[in-house]
Amino acid sequence: MLKYIIKRILMLIPVLLGVSIIVFLIMRVFSPDPAPIVLGQHATQLTVDAWRQANGLTDSIYLQYFHYLKGALTGNLGMSYYTKTPVVKEIMARFPATIELAFISVILASFFGILIGVISAVKKNSIFDNGGMFLALIGVSMPIFWLGILLIILFSGSLHWLPSNGRINPLLEPMHISGFYLIDSLLTGNMSAFMDTLRHLILPACALAMYSMAIITRMTRSSMLDTLQQDFIRTARAKGVPEGKVIRKHALRNGLIPIITVIGLQLGSLLGGAVLTETVFSWPGIGAYTVTCILKSDFPVVQGVVLLVAAIFVLMNLIVDVIYAFLDPRIKYSKKEV
Amino acid sequence: MRKVKKVMALALSVALVLVSLTGCGSSTPSKTATNTATTTAPNPNDTLIYAQGAEPRGLDPALVDDGESAKVMCNIYEGLLKYNKDSTKVEPSLAKSWVVSPDGLTYTFKLQEGVKFQDGTDFNADAVKFNIDRQLPPQATADMCYASFVFGSVKNVEVVDQNTVRINMKSPSTPFLSNLAMVMAAPMISPKALKDNNNNVNQAPVGTGPYKFVKWEKDQDVVLVRNDEYWGTKALTKNVIFKFIKDNSARVVALNNGEADMIDGIDATVVKQITDAGNKIFQAPGMNINYMAYNTSRKPFNDPKVRVALSQAVNVPELVKSLYQGYSQQANSILPTFMNGYDKSVTQVAYDPTAAAKTLKAAGLTSVHMITYTNPRPYNAATGQVLAEAIQGYLSKVGVTVKIDSYDWSTYKAKVKGGDYDIAFYGWIGDNGDPDNFMNLLSDPDPSMNIALYKNPQFNSLIAKGLTTPAGAERNAIYTQLEKIVAADAAWLPISHALTLCAYRPNVQNFYFHMTGITPFAGVSKK
Repeated sequence: MLKYIIKRILMLIPVLLGVSIIVFLIMRVFSPDPAPIVLGQHATQLTVDAWRQANGLTDSIYLQYFHYLKGALTGNLGMSYYTKTPVVKEIMARFPATIELAFISVILASFFGILIGVISAVKKNSIFDNGGMFLALIGVSMPIFWLGILLIILFSGSLHWLPSNGRINPLLEPMHISGFYLIDSLLTGNMSAFMDTLRHLILPACALAMYSMAIITRMTRSSMLDTLQQDFIRTARAKGVPEGKVIRKHALRNGLIPIITVIGLQLGSLLGGAVLTETVFSWPGIGAYTVTCILKSDFPVVQGVVLLVAAIFVLMNLIVDVIYAFLDPRIKYSKKEV
Repeated sequence: MRKVKKVMALALSVALVLVSLTGCGSSTPSKTATNTATTTAPNPNDTLIYAQGAEPRGLDPALVDDGESAKVMCNIYEGLLKYNKDSTKVEPSLAKSWVVSPDGLTYTFKLQEGVKFQDGTDFNADAVKFNIDRQLPPQATADMCYASFVFGSVKNVEVVDQNTVRINMKSPSTPFLSNLAMVMAAPMISPKALKDNNNNVNQAPVGTGPYKFVKWEKDQDVVLVRNDEYWGTKALTKNVIFKFIKDNSARVVALNNGEADMIDGIDATVVKQITDAGNKIFQAPGMNINYMAYNTSRKPFNDPKVRVALSQAVNVPELVKSLYQGYSQQANSILPTFMNGYDKSVTQVAYDPTAAAKTLKAAGLTSVHMITYTNPRPYNAATGQVLAEAIQGYLSKVGVTVKIDSYDWSTYKAKVKGGDYDIAFYGWIGDNGDPDNFMNLLSDPDPSMNIALYKNPQFNSLIAKGLTTPAGAERNAIYTQLEKIVAADAAWLPISHALTLCAYRPNVQNFYFHMTGITPFAGVSKK
């Protein structure tokens, strides 16, 4: 198992190299020249040339990539062209917000998704099944930003129950330890900050969870339906195992593998940032920020974020594979045991 | 054995999750965040929350060029001069008086005494020299967006004594005084802060202003607190928070919900929603111009008669009313009405479709190629495309068919530079409140500035004269004359000056948005 994990982690290297080459080329070929954007409306040709020179954009593309790679290997992803702040600092200032929102959303989506999926499968063709599937249909079809706006109008605009934007009331912000406000406020014993963070999380997390929940519900239902028709379920029932236990221990456990795959992929993509949700709720995450940087041709930031997201995806897949082994003892990853 | 494996797998998964999240997990505590870690909610009346549509680029006046940064910086920093509250005339600020030599080559400033930067260091003539020298060759870097605009005509800076500074010029430049009131490049930064932060205070601004910087949570907010050591009248409200809410409708909800006290970047469509909730609208005059330009280097548009005829075909008052619904003023001149040199006697070609049709028929002009932009711009919320289509309608009535090519803003700028058009749309947002800043666009040799490619030696010599004539009636007359020349020549068809729309809650007192795009909060309070 350990060997397998090390092998998979080593495989990250070619993936990241490939991703870095692709994003490097795409930014340089298809993005407008950053110099006029950075230098503003009073830029002269002279200053544009000087700036391009100072930022190495006049070198050959191979040399530029080489410099970038050299920096990246030492943990230096460069400076944002637009804000003159180190890229690592810009990303780290926003990534905890993305992680916090993604985890809460996936927890919500998994809990309700699996619950509704199991009920739908067990009570197939009942009113619960139809209701659950209708909800899932709405979840996959409704644009998240629109749902977000509706939630804001209802719960903030009309009912005034919940805040409409941001992570926390700026004056309540807890001391930064991990960057996750829920954890930091608990660690510092700042309960008002904890409650305020929770209140701010509810609407964006619900909006974001809707789509993932729909996918998880559908996957759970079909996987459960498959499993419930297997012989060992019949055997279990024939043995007199209580129905609740049949569903939880025998059916759900065996049907969980494809569900975990879906959850892992959903978490992976949410960790890459949820552009529309972040924009609607002014959530200070990595997604909306990256889009802004793409529009500003801020090459170093875009390259940095894409590398990070690629690494997260590969790691999420690895984690899902490891969890398979945990769920199903028949799955083994070392050659000897095959 | 199986159990051990299970536990191992679980432990490995947890470890992997943790590893993949390292970095964010261990992000270093921000230096300033600890200052504000409070456990109780602050008194809401002691906090002003201003919601804007985007995050500032940075808070170092020498390194940024955007309006979002300006709104924050104008509360932290001060320059030698400042603008009058209701116009772009300059007034004393950190300089209490100044003398300009008769040849316009030496400016001597007497500085306020006893002023300290927010880090406790002294503001004096050395600090002024340090700040200006930083933006002059050889120290200036290419990414100091406004250095050459503001200090381009400066030769050097001399410290006469601790409270007197002399600026020597390479050539006379009357707009220089207006430049010194700008919030870009001109404000005074603590030299110590610049030295401590590697000549870049984008994240750690230190000025002399009524508010000092507390913290900046990226993509969330900037928090300022009253500078209790401020040398002038101290700010009325203790905390000012700039929140960044990108989505326009979310910003309106935040105002109506009480999560923000003031917002900007709104358009005519939400005004009713805001006033129905009991909130107020603030309309600031806009230091901008939205215009249509003829390519005067091309036949038949090199003939002023043809340009006049095309302008005659457009009913500008009707156009402005229908496109901007009262939230832009019709432009009778290039200069906004509050600026020096504006004269109400200047008028553009009047609407006369019959005369237009006659001239255009005689000239044999039946088709025109327009290029335009698809994005809303600060001076044209309706987008260039909608404006072009409206003008296409007017021109079709006088027998001219129009082909419109529309592009997104970045591509459009490149197309304008290429020069392949008969008519193009553009606009200008003023920098320093000086008339030269608007009128010199038509004398600029750069085709991306002077998109009409207008060349008129008489016009150019008057522009040069305006630069060296001292401020006053004589100089204002030059700009009025320039307006008249360009109106008679019809190189542009000025369309409108966009107003800046802001909204605020009814308990906010004395809120204003200056025409230069800044929001000073020292005099603003909440009931």
